[in-house]
Amino acid sequence: MMSGIEVTADTRVARSRAERHLPGEEGVWVFIMGDMVVFALFFAVFVWYRGLDPVLFSESQATLNAGYGLFNTCLLLTSSWFVVLAMNAVRRDLDRQAALLFVLALLCGLGFSLIKVLEYSEKIAADLTPLSNDFYMFYYILTGLHFVHVIIGMVVMLFMALLARRGVSRSGGLSFLEGGASYWHMVDLLWIVLFPLIYLMK
Amino acid sequence: MNKSAQYFCLWSAAAMGVFVIIGWWLLAHFVPPPSPGWTAGEIAEFYVSNLTGIRTGMIFMLVGAGFFIPFIALISSQMRRMEHTPPVLAYTQLLGGSMSVMIILIPIMLWTTAAFRPERNPEITQMLNDAAWLITAMTFSPGIIQNLSIGLAVLWDRSAKRIFPRWVAYVNFWMALGFLPAGLMTYFKTGPFAWNGLLAFWLPLVAFTIWFNVMFIALMRAIREQRDS
Repeated sequence: MMSGIEVTADTRVARSRAERHLPGEEGVWVFIMGDMVVFALFFAVFVWYRGLDPVLFSESQATLNAGYGLFNTCLLLTSSWFVVLAMNAVRRDLDRQAALLFVLALLCGLGFSLIKVLEYSEKIAADLTPLSNDFYMFYYILTGLHFVHVIIGMVVMLFMALLARRGVSRSGGLSFLEGGASYWHMVDLLWIVLFPLIYLMK
Repeated sequence: MNKSAQYFCLWSAAAMGVFVIIGWWLLAHFVPPPSPGWTAGEIAEFYVSNLTGIRTGMIFMLVGAGFFIPFIALISSQMRRMEHTPPVLAYTQLLGGSMSVMIILIPIMLWTTAAFRPERNPEITQMLNDAAWLITAMTFSPGIIQNLSIGLAVLWDRSAKRIFPRWVAYVNFWMALGFLPAGLMTYFKTGPFAWNGLLAFWLPLVAFTIWFNVMFIALMRAIREQRDS
């Protein structure tokens, strides 16, 4: 607690930095850009293979439940919104409130995961596996890789909530929260591309 | 003395690069890899048509793999200088890196074995070829552990003068994710996730090349800025 009080004066200044600053540390953006390039490559390969066999791809796409996908889109968007609110709370020194909002964002991620598991198990029960055809191969691999990102994001979100609960006024605290929030928005953004690409694109 | 030894370790990695390019690519013609979709006859023909190239290429590869060892040791040695970083991370990196060397040494000897008796039953050659490619391209876990330990160590570093810039940590985390698609090649003989595919072979290879160059430059700077003690 003592150290927390000592650095408060500095963090007040830090929390009202110029509006045009890059959120988080620059390294996080190296990761985010690198990761988005990899996903863009995956998306391009998917579109390429789709072009080779459009009939198979649209027939298989019709067996997907777009309702799950849409619901999950809403969950991730809501979750991103909670993160935005949490970061606003942090900037107004409402760390407890921020912690609660991070937990809400985490719960949305958890909901996303439950739907995903439900969706996978329905597909596997219907004998639609990654080996069924090229469409399902991409469906499982693309959504699976994204799912790995969601799980990592939930772990990060847990640490963010714990940090906010203890109080953000520690060196590097705000930077960590901004980096984690940026990562979570990236996970959301990737899904917003992935969902129409796999579930809807005709 | 310490600095010269470290520069030797650093440049030995460049030697590795040269030996691997000559051996793996130019002599053995292993880049791009022979397709897992080929029949046993086609695989046997691939070996028979380039016996000397593969045999000699593998000797180059053995020399190159050896040169990777000092580079791994150098990374751990610099990690040990980081203040407040738990020492276990340097040891984990050392072990992960050593295992990575091993998962390239074993395939080199399997490729050598495959090229050793061209007159044998093609199916046996195919099996040796399968084992070699799967071991070298799919064994992702040591590399991931190595990347994560480097990344965590860099983030933990509280030295007044940082050993590596913090973004190096994130390049390592990115590399760890880049290895993941390799795990899928067990299911596929053709397509992007086969061992010669865009996403299971070329993506990790390009990611590794980027990682390697980033680490090389970061280490070069770390040695230069290290005060002789």
